[in-house]
Amino acid sequence: MSASTITGRQRLALGAVVSGLFVLAVALLLVDGGREIAVDVAGVFTASYLGSALRLTVPIAFAAMGGIFAEKSGVINIGLEGLLIIGALSAIATNYALGLESTPIDANPWLALLAAVLASAFVAFLFAAVCIEFKADQIIAGLAVWLIALGAAPFVSVIIWGQRNSPRVGMFSSISIPGLSALPGIGAIFSITPPVLLLLLAVPFSWFLLNRTTFGMRLEASGEDPKSLDTAGVDVRKVRYAGVILSGIYCGIGGAGLALNTGTFVGTGDTMIDGRGWIGLTAYLIGNYNPVGAFLASFLFAGLDALQLELQQISTITISSTLVGIVPYVAVLVVLTFVGRTRMPSAAGEHYDSDE
Amino acid sequence: MNGDDSTDGTDGSWRDRGGATLDRLVDASAAERIAISLTALVFAIVVGAVLVFVSGFVADCSSPFIYLPGLGYGCYNPLEVYWTILAGSFGSFSDLGQTLLETTLLLFTGLSVAVAFRAGLFNIGTQGQMVLGGLATAMTVLTVGEFLPANLLGSLVVIPLGVAVGAVVGGIWGMIPGLMKAYADAHEVITTIMLNFVAAGVAYWLVQVHIGDLASDSVQTHSIPAIARLPESIAGSRFSVIALLAALAVAVGIALLYTRTVLGYDLRTSGIQETAAEYGGVDAKRNVVTSMTLSGALGGIAGAVYVMMVQYRWQAGIPSLGFDGIAVSILAGNNPIGVIPAALLFGTLKSGSLAVDISLGVPNELIEVLRGLIILFIAMPEFFRMIGKRYGYGTDPVATDGGESQ
Repeated sequence: MSASTITGRQRLALGAVVSGLFVLAVALLLVDGGREIAVDVAGVFTASYLGSALRLTVPIAFAAMGGIFAEKSGVINIGLEGLLIIGALSAIATNYALGLESTPIDANPWLALLAAVLASAFVAFLFAAVCIEFKADQIIAGLAVWLIALGAAPFVSVIIWGQRNSPRVGMFSSISIPGLSALPGIGAIFSITPPVLLLLLAVPFSWFLLNRTTFGMRLEASGEDPKSLDTAGVDVRKVRYAGVILSGIYCGIGGAGLALNTGTFVGTGDTMIDGRGWIGLTAYLIGNYNPVGAFLASFLFAGLDALQLELQQISTITISSTLVGIVPYVAVLVVLTFVGRTRMPSAAGEHYDSDE
Repeated sequence: MNGDDSTDGTDGSWRDRGGATLDRLVDASAAERIAISLTALVFAIVVGAVLVFVSGFVADCSSPFIYLPGLGYGCYNPLEVYWTILAGSFGSFSDLGQTLLETTLLLFTGLSVAVAFRAGLFNIGTQGQMVLGGLATAMTVLTVGEFLPANLLGSLVVIPLGVAVGAVVGGIWGMIPGLMKAYADAHEVITTIMLNFVAAGVAYWLVQVHIGDLASDSVQTHSIPAIARLPESIAGSRFSVIALLAALAVAVGIALLYTRTVLGYDLRTSGIQETAAEYGGVDAKRNVVTSMTLSGALGGIAGAVYVMMVQYRWQAGIPSLGFDGIAVSILAGNNPIGVIPAALLFGTLKSGSLAVDISLGVPNELIEVLRGLIILFIAMPEFFRMIGKRYGYGTDPVATDGGESQ
């Protein structure tokens, strides 16, 4: 299996995004006093901006890579958004429970992360069972996972905290590389949070798992040609369970990574996940089912998201934050228009019955 | 994997997969569909009851209803919760009004989702279509209302105009993902969800910065004039029977469109059998756009009715009626007539959930959980067939009825 090539359409898509940003930049220069604004905007791209972009990449990229495992195995998991929500809530609820006076241990973000992974993996397992054992329609079942999480997370929040948002319950602290992190200007790069570190490790790991291991080959076969895999004596159902549960594990890390950045869970509106699972879904389509490509696409969307946060800090720009906030979603729409149909695994979405 | 973007349509796309399932859903006989819907409903209610019971052990309350050794005190009695939902939705005339009000809105959003589903499309964007349609309606009646006489004649002009504008704006917002689907092959689930976020952002920004009541602390428009408000039919609630009758008429109209007209037939076949439709000389791409536009227009009308019957203004934080519409449509087997009882059921749940929240302290987010559970259980008919087999009920293959749902 060679690494995937970028298709003409994907090149078009990236070109569209880049030219869109260019047009935006030119438009800025034409605005009265645009020159100073341009200087301000250029000043945004600092090491700390890179850091915040990477932190925002965590939920999107983990959801995207998780989605690849599920879909490669033949189960389209559009419940990624819901799994992220469950991960975020479980992490914060666990940390809150650990931090209570009555519990013997203190709040610990690593234990919270573990709980998030377990909860999200369990829900993914249920989703897999619904799709594999009971032959549910994967799209509708995936929607149901999202809608259940969208209702259950605020429900649980209200039960525990009496409101949809949690109090602050402790979060991950940054890991600094001694010496390097003290450098002026670029020091921020060498001070990262554990979720970002996990992400940077997960990208090559996922690529290796998919392209260089027996398990990866089986996943591929399970989505492309389950009949042959079955003939070769491998249980297709087990491979699909593994693929979907992996997507749950990844979403658990992604959701917990986002929530443990601030140490709170926000359950109002579309919850704090706010569509990042759906953006992750698009990211792996653009990345053409390759973890590295999915990571880069996620980083692009997260970069836009981080940009709008930075722009809000600049006093000379009086754009409404709400309006800038929709930029990532518009970018997804533009990209989808250009990418369109992707070459998905042939048997994805179909039930496979072994004739025994 | 080489990413060759073949466009010959032979490789799998979500569309074909979804289409095949919708096929099965539509082909199942009406009796079986009703059985599946009712069973799914029962299962969702049972799972919801377990959730309520368990969460009662986490919540704090002054008078617990049960003590279990090892678990402690449980606060919530599931039976009491469901009884309160019923009592809270039909217990008095004003409760009944609230129930019918919710039902009316859910009829429109449910029909919106059903129209897309019947064409093999997942419109998750009813929410966004409703938000923008409702805002357009509010601005139209605010602008036009000033120039009209404050009497029945004025109402007869401004209310239909408000509905029409809501339908047009919602329709345009639904047409965008339709066009993206037909001509750029972008999957409508993702595009409609993205457009929901965009709609919410754009509407919020417009109202907050430009066209809203800038003097107010909350993000909202001015209150609409009295002539643009739908007349109240039941004291103590803003329910208007005119809106309900209109919704019922639309449901019947859509059912007739599908069963009695050539256009309806074409819309259905394009969704279910694209290739066959093309052979029959039907422009399937155009029909995708038509279905999504019609679906969006219904979402826009839901927004218009919400503004003119419920809120009397557009306000940030429109309730998630669009997502409720998905559950209503799926529960109804995507049949326009079936949407009527499904909407009534959800209207009951929604208006009763307020009573549950107020009198029992159970968060009304419970209804959102039930909504998701119902969708999940209906998505897995096989589960019920297995149960049916185990207890010796019919194991015959599903009878097809040619996609007709009479």
